[in-house]
Amino acid sequence: MTTRRSFLAGLGAVGVSAQVTWADVGAPSFLSAARTPDEGYVLAGLSQAGAIVFHIPLPTRGHAAAVHPIRPEAVAFARRPGVYALVLDCVTGKVTAQLDSPENRHFYGHGTFSADGALLYTTENDPESGNGVIGVWDATLGYKRVGEFLSGGVGPHDIKLMPDGETLVVANGGIETHPDSGRTRLNIPTMQPRLSYLSLSGDLSEQVELRPSLHKNSIRHLSVSDDGLVAFAMQWQGSKVLEPPLVGLHRRGAAVKLIQARPRDHRALRGYVGSIALSADAREVAVTSPKGGVVQVFQVRSPSQYSVVPLQDVCGISAGWAGFNVTSGAGSWGTISNGQISNRQNKMLNWDNHLISASHLPD
Amino acid sequence: MMIRSLTALAFTLLPLAVAAQDHQATNHAVIDEHILPAFETFANATEALKTAAQADCSARSPELLQAYHTGFDAWIAVSHLRFGPTEVEDRAFALAFWPDKKGFTPKSLTGLIKVQNPDGLDPQAFKHVSIAARGFFALEFMLYDEAIAALGAEAYQCALIQTIAADIDANSDAILAEWAGPFSQLMKTPSEDAIYRSESEVTQELFKSLVTGLQFSAEARLGRPLGTFERPRPRRAEARRSERSLRNVVVSLKATRDLAITLAREDEALAVTLGAAFGDSLALAERIKDPAFADLNDPQGRLKVEILQQSVNLLREQLNQTLGPHLGVGEGFNALDGD
Repeated sequence: MTTRRSFLAGLGAVGVSAQVTWADVGAPSFLSAARTPDEGYVLAGLSQAGAIVFHIPLPTRGHAAAVHPIRPEAVAFARRPGVYALVLDCVTGKVTAQLDSPENRHFYGHGTFSADGALLYTTENDPESGNGVIGVWDATLGYKRVGEFLSGGVGPHDIKLMPDGETLVVANGGIETHPDSGRTRLNIPTMQPRLSYLSLSGDLSEQVELRPSLHKNSIRHLSVSDDGLVAFAMQWQGSKVLEPPLVGLHRRGAAVKLIQARPRDHRALRGYVGSIALSADAREVAVTSPKGGVVQVFQVRSPSQYSVVPLQDVCGISAGWAGFNVTSGAGSWGTISNGQISNRQNKMLNWDNHLISASHLPD
Repeated sequence: MMIRSLTALAFTLLPLAVAAQDHQATNHAVIDEHILPAFETFANATEALKTAAQADCSARSPELLQAYHTGFDAWIAVSHLRFGPTEVEDRAFALAFWPDKKGFTPKSLTGLIKVQNPDGLDPQAFKHVSIAARGFFALEFMLYDEAIAALGAEAYQCALIQTIAADIDANSDAILAEWAGPFSQLMKTPSEDAIYRSESEVTQELFKSLVTGLQFSAEARLGRPLGTFERPRPRRAEARRSERSLRNVVVSLKATRDLAITLAREDEALAVTLGAAFGDSLALAERIKDPAFADLNDPQGRLKVEILQQSVNLLREQLNQTLGPHLGVGEGFNALDGD
């Protein structure tokens, strides 16, 4: 593993200028938060082959990160309910700015940049009203808070920029929490998750809800293809015996398509999908369940065709060159293709929930 | 070479086989000695509540108030067992709609009373009203809230109390019937094609209910009224109108203590240690003289509740570090709900 010291020493030779790009930090293809053996936390950059190209300490457990589209800069979010996020310079390893959630707001763990990297959008909670909020931060002004708008639902979790560069898609999970009561869910019987499409100024353009019997299916994570297919992953909050679908596909203006494996394989997800990723060509969609220790990869066009790969505590997943790359809480890295796992590696790290793609970078 | 590898295989399989045996015995003990008796007690208590309401539906009836408290105690004593029959048809929420941040319970009850909605007179029809108008928290409003009492329509309110009590009883009977029959069977006979695939998955469900129950006490029952030091929220205390806020924490601690000790039955020393740890939390609860957490604005009063909350959080940690590994059912790094 590259230590930060040797990594930084290496950089000295390259020379650090104001023009540095992601290529200068070993062009990580992915970012992931992790726990180290000494109970510390880091944000790591990984190559396509799973090598750690840098790692930067974090003060507490991370969740997801937003990747700046141009500069080697990442915003690392604390696990929900977090009150701060850190802007990390991935060249120097330094914290260049800190985002403090405003009074009466807290972060939910995900965020996304505008196409030009000027603005950052973060999912947040207004605990008093229970409304979900999208915070807007100006990256050109040292991440100053410049606005906010309603997320279109309760408990927004993941957020992505649509390929048109003008629309945000938000997974409003529907679960209300309050910082005074930690992670306790306050509204399960009345929860109403939604997929919401918003303009960059917060105008709601489309709301997608599932049928009423699925109102306890919390929509939490998203993956968006270059042509605008949105794949979403859910976590079931209702009775275990009902075994509802946990994966959906949506195109704007069309109906949702829910997909699931045959009963025995579906049950293996244990009502919980941790992460979701579409392949680069959007022909496949892959989901992970850390509770079930399983990865399932579906053909988007004919979801009855799917493969299942077991991997203990697997959660992070992202499309890579050779298939889907996955990470696990037990420290594993692997590449999944054709129903097989290859390039298995084990690190002395507990990989956190998400493997964030930096795939918009030049290959 | 062959013999050697077979011997190695036998050694590696042996502990697994023993562990599986332990899981089964533990699961059966928890179901037969903890879960079923608690749901039987609950069903008996709600039957008595229904009868008391039929005999005298006045909010001043000491027998009714007594039956309300006994029934509520019995619910709290099973309220950590949130899987299976309690989750079918939203039964648990129809028994206890709390937290109720937006005040759905008083709103729904007021709506029923103002128009004297006939659904409030018929336990069968009542199943289809808002779940916020059902269960113990609705009954608490009917028995203890002055604004509800001031709405008048006494005969209707009386009948509504009887309906709520009968609905609670029907709900608890339905839960017991499933627990006593198919669901116990399901948990006792896990198989690859069933909801529970192995004995250890069943144990994991039971262990999870233990730590989740404690989490609910720490974060919701204690955390919600505590709010922040600058802004305590005593009016958010659970069942504060009938002054049960502290009592619910105590009843739940006792019930989860029973579950923890049953789960630890294979390791007597661990069972004793855990019993003592729960005892410490219960002793801290006893020092609190304020049943509805009304004193949280007073730093002394607040401190006692904070200390209790801390001790419940320590209990959770202790269980995760000792009982979880003992049972071999710790959760993975990434398996927390909502992440």
